[in-house]
Amino acid sequence: MANYILKRFLSLIPTFFGATFLAFLIIQMAPGDYLTQLELDPKVTPETIARLRAQFGLDRPFHEQYLLWMHNLLHLNLGYSFAYQAPVLEIVWPRVLNSMVLVVPSTILLFLIAVPVGVYGALRQYSLGDRVVSFLAYLGLAIPNFFLALILMYLVLQVYFRTGVMVFPVSGMTSSGFEQFSFWQKVVDVAWHAVLPIVVLTTSDIAGFSRIMRGQMLEALSQDYVRTARAKGLPERVVVYKHALRNAVIPIVANIGGILPTLISGAGLVEVVMAWPGITPLLLDAISQQDLYVVAGFLTMGLVLLMIGNLLSDLLLAWVDPRIRYE
Amino acid sequence: MRKAVLLAGILALAGVASAQTFVWPQKWTVAKPSEAKRGGTLRAAVISDYRTFNPFVTAESGNVPDLISGSRGLATRDPTTGDWIPYMAESWTISPNKLEITFKIRKGMKWSDGRPITADDWITTWRIHTDKAVGSNSYDSFFIDGKPIVLRKIDDYTIRFIYPKTDAEAFNIARFEPWPAHVFGPVYQREGAEGIKKMWTLNEKPENIVSGGPWLIESYRPGERLVLKRNPAFGEWNKDEAGNPLPYLDRYEIKIVKDVNAQLAEFLAGNIDLMAPSTVDHISQIRQAIQQGRLDATLKVNASPVASSQFMVFNWNKASDPFKQSLFRSDKFRRAMSHIVNRQAVIDVVYGGLGTPMYSSVYPVLTQWINPKVPKYEYNPQQAAKLLAELGFTKKDREGYLVDARGRRLEFNLATNAGNAQREQIAKLIVDEAKKVGVKVNFQAIDFNTLVGQLLSSGPDRPFDAIIIGLTGGGLDWPFGSNVVPCKGNLHMWNKSGQCLDPRETLMEKLYYQGRTELDFKKRVEIGYRMQEVEAELLPVIYIAGPNYHPAWNNRLGGEHPDAIISSIWGSRQVELTFIKK
Repeated sequence: MANYILKRFLSLIPTFFGATFLAFLIIQMAPGDYLTQLELDPKVTPETIARLRAQFGLDRPFHEQYLLWMHNLLHLNLGYSFAYQAPVLEIVWPRVLNSMVLVVPSTILLFLIAVPVGVYGALRQYSLGDRVVSFLAYLGLAIPNFFLALILMYLVLQVYFRTGVMVFPVSGMTSSGFEQFSFWQKVVDVAWHAVLPIVVLTTSDIAGFSRIMRGQMLEALSQDYVRTARAKGLPERVVVYKHALRNAVIPIVANIGGILPTLISGAGLVEVVMAWPGITPLLLDAISQQDLYVVAGFLTMGLVLLMIGNLLSDLLLAWVDPRIRYE
Repeated sequence: MRKAVLLAGILALAGVASAQTFVWPQKWTVAKPSEAKRGGTLRAAVISDYRTFNPFVTAESGNVPDLISGSRGLATRDPTTGDWIPYMAESWTISPNKLEITFKIRKGMKWSDGRPITADDWITTWRIHTDKAVGSNSYDSFFIDGKPIVLRKIDDYTIRFIYPKTDAEAFNIARFEPWPAHVFGPVYQREGAEGIKKMWTLNEKPENIVSGGPWLIESYRPGERLVLKRNPAFGEWNKDEAGNPLPYLDRYEIKIVKDVNAQLAEFLAGNIDLMAPSTVDHISQIRQAIQQGRLDATLKVNASPVASSQFMVFNWNKASDPFKQSLFRSDKFRRAMSHIVNRQAVIDVVYGGLGTPMYSSVYPVLTQWINPKVPKYEYNPQQAAKLLAELGFTKKDREGYLVDARGRRLEFNLATNAGNAQREQIAKLIVDEAKKVGVKVNFQAIDFNTLVGQLLSSGPDRPFDAIIIGLTGGGLDWPFGSNVVPCKGNLHMWNKSGQCLDPRETLMEKLYYQGRTELDFKKRVEIGYRMQEVEAELLPVIYIAGPNYHPAWNNRLGGEHPDAIISSIWGSRQVELTFIKK
């Protein structure tokens, strides 16, 4: 096992260099750079733009920029943001934490809801309940997140117009005067703001996830060992939960590692629509402005987490799946 | 008796000292000083995040340093007249050759940390802005045609600006806001530009940010909310006509809301006080909420045009295609193209009826500068067809497009940046109208940076036919672009051969510099009028139309501008004179 881990770990090194190189290359291949926008400003002279370009190192050849970046990266320095004039990590990290306030609870909720829903659907296949659940799941899948967020905001406003009560905040992560709140008031305030975005995130993910679970479970239930278990006269509860379910969750466990990078990658457009100060609005700005090192630095963080996540997945898989042994 | 005399003397001295206050004119607001209430919080929202507190590296408009300083320097403009009036200066004198302006700085002004504001602050600020290694966005504004403007300290309260040539924008240059020399100076001396760049990042504690303006930073939550609080030192020398210190408000809270729909929702819910809706849908939602009594707010539809332009520009440098090159260089052709731009349709379709047609490089909102006698070449397809016939395009081919005697079809490519829905709609309208008169326009939406790259490429053969793009910015003192008009200018987009090709380009360049160095406003406006005449004849760029400005505010606010001043230039209010009614 130790041998296997070591091998896996060593194989990560070329992957890391290859992937960062590709990421850097793709960003660089986009036309223009951070200063292109400034070129249309009637007040700024071309000399100034050329000077800034030299200052940011954007006038150097690609390989020099990459090597410099890699050199910094190996010293755990993700680079410098042009727009913020500050180290990338300093800007990105608080946003990652904000995003986690949404992503962690919605991921937990996802598992708590989608797994039972999937199992239920498999056990009562084509029953009325299964159909209703399936219908709702597809509905959730069909409505884009940002749109669902807009609908919820609209509903909140309508309730407010009719009753004068703001059930949930329209947007944002904290209320005015947040700084003056006590610790517990702060926690409650953020939680109150987080409810709608978490609902949006969870509903959309439940659909896909519960379908996978349902499919896995159906497949497991049709296996020989389940029939054998039933034939042995084991109680249905044991057959379903001890034999079928344990095997059905294997692919899901295998994907747990993949959750790691999603934890830092933010909650997507919901954050933009609901003014949640997470990673997505920041990253969108950085991409549209070609704030090179913010994008590259962020991709690198995601890459490292993905690699660690995959490693973890493999180890978990070895642990839950009796068919896999690394000796 | 002697005591009384002494007291009178002290009072007189105190009178002299308080003469150093700046009294905010009553005519800037609809409210009387007696109506104004103190306290409360103004709540606004902005689209984009703040990037830094550092005044020397900040790049975006509406940045934090501008906000806390109030963005006024030695002189400011009176919005009722547009004139420059002394602000942090008490008075000024202009040398007979008009190359030097000497400002007497107001005494008694203090930084928020209690230190006096003096000439050193301007000198240090200017030094840092003009240090190339700092990379300040204001760098270029301290130079005229590449020659530096020099600041000299005469004494602690006197400062002289020495210009390399007379300049219409002299006051605009002198109005830059000062930053505390006692904070930035020592760091700059010790560590130079690198030290300056590391200062006042978003991680700086708010209490360490020193301000000379109306606000101090109370707190900032990245991507979320900036809270400003009143700077008491500002109120010591900024008063209303009744002698009350300004600003009236205790706090100014700015939420960062990236999505305009969310901003609208916050405004409708009464969570923010200010909004400038830009789409018809948003305007009608606000209007409905007001009419149904759900929202107590004021909405001023079509207050003014906005100070931005949308235009179509043809490439004069197409050595590889002499047919197109001669076409694009023909003013008759460009005039014909102006006649096929259906500006009213653009306004109706793109801006929902709430826009203003444009015919010259001067934004319609700058009414003082608009020459009403200049020909406009309005939408008129018959006229366009006539002009094209004069160019030899009399016959149509089988597909219905115009061809000349040698059978060459009248056809060009038109590009704009993908993702800008308004420009894409404008382009499609032009394609349709062109087709009606027999001109084939091939429209393509491309990446913004690629587009800019094509537009700003130079030399005899550039890689585009026509582009729709826009510009913003431009001064009230001299509304023509220093980069745009001169033939070598970086934004002389139609002709980047590096030299003037048309005598009217040469004339415009000459008029540009003549106006830029004319200090008499009336004479300058006359030169501006003449420029617009030449511009209309040459028609280097075909202006299309722009949206209008529609401010809205919650009626808990008082102290807005009188209707006559509300515009995209002056906004709907001065925050310093704004108060909370209820």
